[in-house]
Amino acid sequence: MTAAPAFDLGAIQDRIQTEVQRAIQRSIKGVEYFASSGPTLGSTPKDTLNARGTLRLYHYRPLADEIYRVPILIVMATTNRGYILDMVPGQSFIEFLLKQGYDVYMLDWTAPTPEEKSLRMEDYVLDFIPDCIRRVQRDSGVQDVTVIGYCFGGVLSLLYASIFADGPLKNLICFTTPIDFRQMKLFSSFSDRRYFDVDRLVDSVGNMPPELILTSFEMLRPASRAAGQVQLWENIWNDEYVKSYRMFDRWANDTLPLAGEYFRQITKDLMWDNKLYNNTMTVGGRKADLGAIRVPILHAVAEHDHIVPYDAARHLIERIGSADKEEVVLKGGHVSLVAGANAIKRLWPKLDSWLGERST
Amino acid sequence: MATKGSDPLELWHTMLGEMEKGFNAFANQAMASPEFSRTMNQVGGVAAGAQKQFGDLMERYLVAMNLPSRAQLTAMGERLQAVEAQLHEIKALLQQVHHNSAASEQTVVAMPRPPRTRRPPSSAGDAS
Repeated sequence: MTAAPAFDLGAIQDRIQTEVQRAIQRSIKGVEYFASSGPTLGSTPKDTLNARGTLRLYHYRPLADEIYRVPILIVMATTNRGYILDMVPGQSFIEFLLKQGYDVYMLDWTAPTPEEKSLRMEDYVLDFIPDCIRRVQRDSGVQDVTVIGYCFGGVLSLLYASIFADGPLKNLICFTTPIDFRQMKLFSSFSDRRYFDVDRLVDSVGNMPPELILTSFEMLRPASRAAGQVQLWENIWNDEYVKSYRMFDRWANDTLPLAGEYFRQITKDLMWDNKLYNNTMTVGGRKADLGAIRVPILHAVAEHDHIVPYDAARHLIERIGSADKEEVVLKGGHVSLVAGANAIKRLWPKLDSWLGERST
Repeated sequence: MATKGSDPLELWHTMLGEMEKGFNAFANQAMASPEFSRTMNQVGGVAAGAQKQFGDLMERYLVAMNLPSRAQLTAMGERLQAVEAQLHEIKALLQQVHHNSAASEQTVVAMPRPPRTRRPPSSAGDAS
């Protein structure tokens, strides 16, 4: 027979007092929350080297007295803004890289205009990325360039690396990059070719509206937004929690539209025909063979990624032709892999130790 | 302090987390079915068509009210973007000209950059 748990009256009183204080704080901070604009994001000093339509090429000003020889070009996912990698001081991946002595450039995107609805994969892989690489080379005075691609930025980087296998890429780093699109099961279901008339959709709307993209992301975890708001209300007395919530919430809602033709190609070539996995992918008539990639490559994937599940990303490394290749599976989700407290202690130091040795 | 097992707030958090996981899993299972895909795309297709028609109607209404439409504002935005892009180009050209003239006069370089001589900490360890 077990004894009934004894109630500690003092502890209960303390708890009630804490909760009353938090309730008062919630009311005060709740008003502040709606009255204030949230933290400023993406504020690491940078210069715009190129602004052409949807493309933005930034160079971040160095923060170290001595930097590695090889500059880094980060290729951001086309659905989201690059400031996820430059949140606030102390929680910025860019700032971390700069302080570790890297010379950092970023290929970021703005919303494609209605006139840019005809942009195709060819524009991104055969024009935008090579153009930015050339500008990085010219600006840094160094021929070698390391490319880091996040999510679909990783797919674009892989396509670039496989088509331009003769250089000037020095290292390739992919974060949560899918190659087996059948394994993105819900996206596959949403875009089932039997029911999803991508031609009709693109022909009628032009660019894919960001609301549609955001909704498809949110549908992967339909209860999480409501649960997140309950948690926000509970923790609204906690300034750090609120700051973090606002940063990530703002970024998640800041989804970009996708150029119509580009979306049509992604749907047909990758979602329907899984061409990257089947090694039949071509861009502008040029074959994108992952086996042709011979540069050192690191692929960082998240254990609990609901957008790019591990099964969608796990075949990447085995398809790459490089001798120097590594996959690292880290705790976290699609976003927490690269930003936030989890990234600071897991991905960032891992990347630094891997890349530092290959940046001289 | 109340123990973890008897803390009602802790229980509430656990329940909330479990509910979220359970609902997400249930919804994901339902959404993976072909029936869901068919229905979603039928509804989505109709909604996209309706949205387009509504947009066209609204544009005509705004013209009648002598107000700018979204398309016109977007076009204005594009023109601003184009102006910005040209400004960036001019700025880059100016920087290049300044850099060249500074270099030719053997004076200070416009934007001094740190030397590219950094070595990884591990190589410093190897050397010692």
